[in-house]
Amino acid sequence: MAKVVKVQTEFEGRFYEETIVVEGTEVEPWAPEQPLKLVGRPVPRVDGPEKVTGRARFTHDVRLPGMLHGKILRSPHPHARIKRLDTSKAERLPGVRLVLSHQNAPEIPWFRGQTRLFDTTVRYVGDEVACVVADDEETAEEALRLIEVEYEPLPFVVDPERALEPDAPRVHESQPNNLVNGEPEVYERGDVQQGFAEADVVVEGVFRTQTALHNCLETHGSVAHWDGDSLTIWDSTQHVFGVRFQLARALGLPLHKVRVIKRHMGGGFGSKNQAGKYAAIAALAARMTGRPVKIVLDRFEENLATGNRPATIQTLKLGAKRDGTLTAIFHKSILNAGAYAVWAPSASGPTKRLYACPNVRTEDWAVFTNLGPFSAFRAPGYVEGTFALESMMDELAKALGLDPLELRLKNYAEIDPITNKPYTTKGLRQAYERGAQLIGWAERAHTKRARSKGPKRVGFGLASQIWGGSGGPPAYALVKLNPDGTATVVTGTQDIGTGTRTALAQIAAEALSFPLDAVEVELGDTQWGVYAPLSAGSMTLATVGPAVRAAAEDAKKQLLDVAAQLLELPKEGLRVEDGHIATPKGERLPVAEVLRPLGNFQIVGKGARGPNPDDKNVNTFGAQFAQVEVDVETGEVRVEKIVAVHESGRVVNPLTIRSQLYGGVIMGLGYALLERRLDDPRRGLPVTPTLETYKVLTVADVPEIVAEMVDLPDPEANPIGAKGVGEPPIIPTAAAIANAVADALGVRVYELPLSPDRVLAALRGAQAKKDEEEGEEGEAS
Amino acid sequence: MAKAVRAEPEPELEVPVPVRGPERGPIKLRVNGEKHELWVEPRRTLLDALRDDLGLTGAKKGCDEGTCGTCTVLLDGKPIYACLRLAIECEGHEITTIEGLAQGGELHPVQRAFIEEDALQCGFCTPGQILSVKALLDENPNPTEEDVRRAVSGNLCRCGAYPHIVRAALRAAKGLAERPGR
Amino acid sequence: MKRFRYARPERLEAALRLLREPGAKALAGGTDLLTELKARTQEPELLVSVQGLQEPGLRGVREDERFVRIGALTTLRELEAHPLVRDKLPILAQAAQTVAMPQIRHVGTVGGNLMQQVRCWYYRHPFVRCWLKGGEECYAEEGLNHRHAIFGTSPCIAVHPSDLAPALIALDAQARVVGPDVEGELALEELYRLPDERSRARTVLGPADLILEILVPKPSEPTRVRGVYLKAMERATWSFAVVSVAARLSFEPGSEGVRARVGDARLVLGGVAGKPWRARDAEAALRGSPLTDEAIERAAEAAVAGAQPRAHNAYKIELTRALVKRALRSLLPP
Ligand SMILES: Cc1cc2nc3c(=O)[nH]c(=O)nc-3n(C[C@H](O)[C@H](O)[C@H](O)COP(=O)(O)OP(=O)(O)OC[C@H]3O[C@@H](n4cnc5c(N)ncnc54)[C@H](O)[C@@H]3O)c2cc1C
Ligand code: FES
Ligand code: FES
Repeated sequence: MAKVVKVQTEFEGRFYEETIVVEGTEVEPWAPEQPLKLVGRPVPRVDGPEKVTGRARFTHDVRLPGMLHGKILRSPHPHARIKRLDTSKAERLPGVRLVLSHQNAPEIPWFRGQTRLFDTTVRYVGDEVACVVADDEETAEEALRLIEVEYEPLPFVVDPERALEPDAPRVHESQPNNLVNGEPEVYERGDVQQGFAEADVVVEGVFRTQTALHNCLETHGSVAHWDGDSLTIWDSTQHVFGVRFQLARALGLPLHKVRVIKRHMGGGFGSKNQAGKYAAIAALAARMTGRPVKIVLDRFEENLATGNRPATIQTLKLGAKRDGTLTAIFHKSILNAGAYAVWAPSASGPTKRLYACPNVRTEDWAVFTNLGPFSAFRAPGYVEGTFALESMMDELAKALGLDPLELRLKNYAEIDPITNKPYTTKGLRQAYERGAQLIGWAERAHTKRARSKGPKRVGFGLASQIWGGSGGPPAYALVKLNPDGTATVVTGTQDIGTGTRTALAQIAAEALSFPLDAVEVELGDTQWGVYAPLSAGSMTLATVGPAVRAAAEDAKKQLLDVAAQLLELPKEGLRVEDGHIATPKGERLPVAEVLRPLGNFQIVGKGARGPNPDDKNVNTFGAQFAQVEVDVETGEVRVEKIVAVHESGRVVNPLTIRSQLYGGVIMGLGYALLERRLDDPRRGLPVTPTLETYKVLTVADVPEIVAEMVDLPDPEANPIGAKGVGEPPIIPTAAAIANAVADALGVRVYELPLSPDRVLAALRGAQAKKDEEEGEEGEAS
Repeated sequence: MAKAVRAEPEPELEVPVPVRGPERGPIKLRVNGEKHELWVEPRRTLLDALRDDLGLTGAKKGCDEGTCGTCTVLLDGKPIYACLRLAIECEGHEITTIEGLAQGGELHPVQRAFIEEDALQCGFCTPGQILSVKALLDENPNPTEEDVRRAVSGNLCRCGAYPHIVRAALRAAKGLAERPGR
Repeated sequence: MKRFRYARPERLEAALRLLREPGAKALAGGTDLLTELKARTQEPELLVSVQGLQEPGLRGVREDERFVRIGALTTLRELEAHPLVRDKLPILAQAAQTVAMPQIRHVGTVGGNLMQQVRCWYYRHPFVRCWLKGGEECYAEEGLNHRHAIFGTSPCIAVHPSDLAPALIALDAQARVVGPDVEGELALEELYRLPDERSRARTVLGPADLILEILVPKPSEPTRVRGVYLKAMERATWSFAVVSVAARLSFEPGSEGVRARVGDARLVLGGVAGKPWRARDAEAALRGSPLTDEAIERAAEAAVAGAQPRAHNAYKIELTRALVKRALRSLLPP
């Protein structure tokens, strides 16, 4: 029976109260020591052949007969009112089928009503103004240039600190201030004032992090097609069921009339968690023209309008006893949310919970500005917050004369400091130990001396990570078992490049005791699929994996029932082994043979994700170590080696999990050293909307990376014992590198990225301070 | 030394040079060994011609401005960005796309190595990466790790599959070298 | 992209005649021009492909008595791999290797590289109409100028992006040009100009002038000449130069080892000005003195002496200084 319960869930580092349905498909967890055949093996991706041959179909590749192309006109102003909009010239261009704008599109609220699909006020450079739909892209683009818009520029603000001043221009006129949700989000435990009073040492710093762009190689886009009153959308999304829900609501359609498909997607990293305006526009345009409509953003639009990791300004203060015991933490974070926001990441997440500290106060100020709205970006908030917290921990270690690792172990949290519950598993200590060994932590003083030469200085740093990744209900799966001994797994999740298809095939085959190639996984389609949540928050495997296993176990049970009757043997003695029915007499009969008398029929196994434990926290952990070489003449930072050791429960596939670890570390490296969107403050204009100006790492930038998992099957977390790993490996990378750079230079760079100009400035600052001190000493003597 | 020059009358040209466009016209392309005749404007890029006119969507449009590498194809065996090349400029050349790599249903050794080393995640950059590696191995069957890095330096991978891509290239090289008859 | 007509002549005269039509533009590899066509910073009526030209000398690298001769249609890849370039012009080989990525090097030509447009993020921004695009003001002057010029005076402060140009100027190369505005051999240094109120052009060539060949004089005493090209980039590869240095020194006969005296010196900077920038004061500081640490320091100071940093690019001065020192140190005779 389905049961409705209220639970506290953790998603992307935040806690939410949710009402959910749980269904009791109870499955015995795989015990840690239980030998498994397929789960835990380095199985190559099941969709590898599609991807290496170019057969894999992405949303960009969808082509339908009679398909039209849409191009969106975007605001060149950071804040303006549209006084006049004349689309007549564009409409007259041969090949143009439709021009949509606020003049003819329905008023569909967007961002919870903060704006509309086409608003008459634009609030950032890139805000949607109109859309041309034409026979081909060239014509649509040509027509965009024929649309005449008269804007009345309004005062704008792009600096979040300025936006907080009472006389600052307001991004949303109807709001009393520029704060998302009207006020800061404050968390407090213990007594922070008291805590600082008790401290022997207090350190404080202000950290700045940049705006980072996802730059998924497949830009956002949709293809919409109507068949009567049914809408089909191919969308480059991390959440087919979410897009269905959002579009059905936006267009006033019943859910069963909307089908969303995503077979392959060229990267999302959080920016594709929700439906974009382009999807709704494509759907409307397709309805109005009676033809399929494709809208694919170009790189420029992608970098203006599809989200970002928002910039932060963080003030962090730590108090500790002489032995290193933390007595108090204060963390204030100002986050540049851009023009629209329905939630906000919190940079203070790690501060609240990475270390055992009785007195903690955090403030998160998410601020509206006239810049492109942020979106989730691989461990939103935690990457930024960990950079500040772990940098400050190193400053504290320095002030106390303690080894940074020792300081962290001193404050190791055995129970979760927010919920006061123990963890199902916490492999952070193992991660520290293994990582320290792999980087040569104990010998680092020697290595530094030996390797620093001329203008080159070598340094070491470390940082730790906590994140959710428990997954949780609801999620469903079906396993359709065919009479020839093959099976199809059906679920409504999606593979966003993380290897979900492969892991689910392994889990289903394991549970069925079928060979891997007898199992096919169908996902990314709301029509065939049963509900599964978005692929984000490192929750896909831990959410959908147990549902798939439950469905497979259910199918297997039914298979044994049927086999027992067909073979006229007692059910208890029968087992499935590698696609065969094994009898007590030692016979092994292929499933296809046993089922043959039934002809064309099917067994349907059903499974649901059960609840998470009430009395424990399910989290993921890890530690990373960096070795860097800094050139004090040019300010260049060269990362020589990164060691990443993480604990995310059971390792289902060591091959694909290593890809995830590398991927996270490499993205973190780019964030630490290189990536930054630059905005011209005088014009509210991002000037780095290309992959030439917004630099991401190339293959030649990647240092030696040693990536390992602490393989700790977590039977209390869920029946497959796995937790998520998509986000954890990006979280501590920048912090570890920043700490290594500070170790190399003896001074800290408080701002990301750690670009040569900042390194040189920090060195200059340190030199100036030293000269001043020496000058004072000279005067004194 | 340079000098400012002349206003002499030009001699008449024997053969007038055909000027094509701006309207659509016929162009001939050889792709994966097959001849095609397309009806396109001179401004058509090779990438759009492949994807939209020939339905070969293995080459992707990640940026359309020569900055990502997802559109990489081989022109006479050399990797190029199809987005920065006019289709009309490819007449008389041999183009190879990812669709032309597997022979008779059998994957090319580079493709196999990419699967075995998990040198891909989302797979969007993968066709371009594979073609860059193939071009390298055709020219240099024994590449060093450094050679591989140089060869794929124009193919971004936002998923960060780089370490596995390097391994896959080296594995493919080894496999090719060990193949009988080479 | 706006629509255009297209022609692919085989004979040079035909190409030159077509190029004289209003709105005509030469197309070589297209790797730069196509980015401009797409951004609509160029809207030619007629593209004249020079790729079909059969003119001798247009492709490949050769040598005669006095010169190494590089055809303008030689690709960057051919250039970097050519034995003559590797052996005789290592500065140029090094510079060519740092350009872009294989896909561009296989297609992009030497002529196109020398004639490419600036990469300024305002110039290339679809929402901006800056001075260089025919607008009123240079957005970078008061805006974000991290990558902009620290030398030279011009209404546009974008830097010249070519890696080949500084290397070739350090090698004292000439361009052989034909066309209605310029014809004959031209010192490559003279090819470039800073845009001014009279003209927004960055070279002295007119739209119908073509570079046919680059001529690099061969040194009379190759063993006494040493050169290097260093490029500071934001990442390990495929990045335009933040700052680059092409340095070429000849050492006087009769002086050996560390005491070797510098005869002629050429120091050309990339990424710091609207055209390849000769550091003449630094060259003068080097001439006639041994390459001691002090001489190197002096030269590095002289190289940045007249620099005028803007709000966001003062770091380029330090970087230039460091790069010049590093380049000169690497040239110390063994
Ligand atoms: C992603 C990317 C990265 C790059 N990185 C670098 C780099 O790091 N360093 C660097 O130096 N360059 C770099 N470039 C520039 C690249 O080197 C040039 O695009 C290329 O060399 C241009 O050659 P092309 O033959 O393609 O020229 P085209 O694009 O065909 O032409 C460019 C311009 O030159 C003119 N032109 C071409 N040939 C001649 C001729 N013979 N005579 C007169 N005019 C002519 C054309 O009319 C046009 O105006 C990069 C380019 C890209 C797209
Ligand atoms: S699409 Fe051609 S390089 Fe990005
Ligand atoms: S695999 Fe996703 S971009 Fe390379």
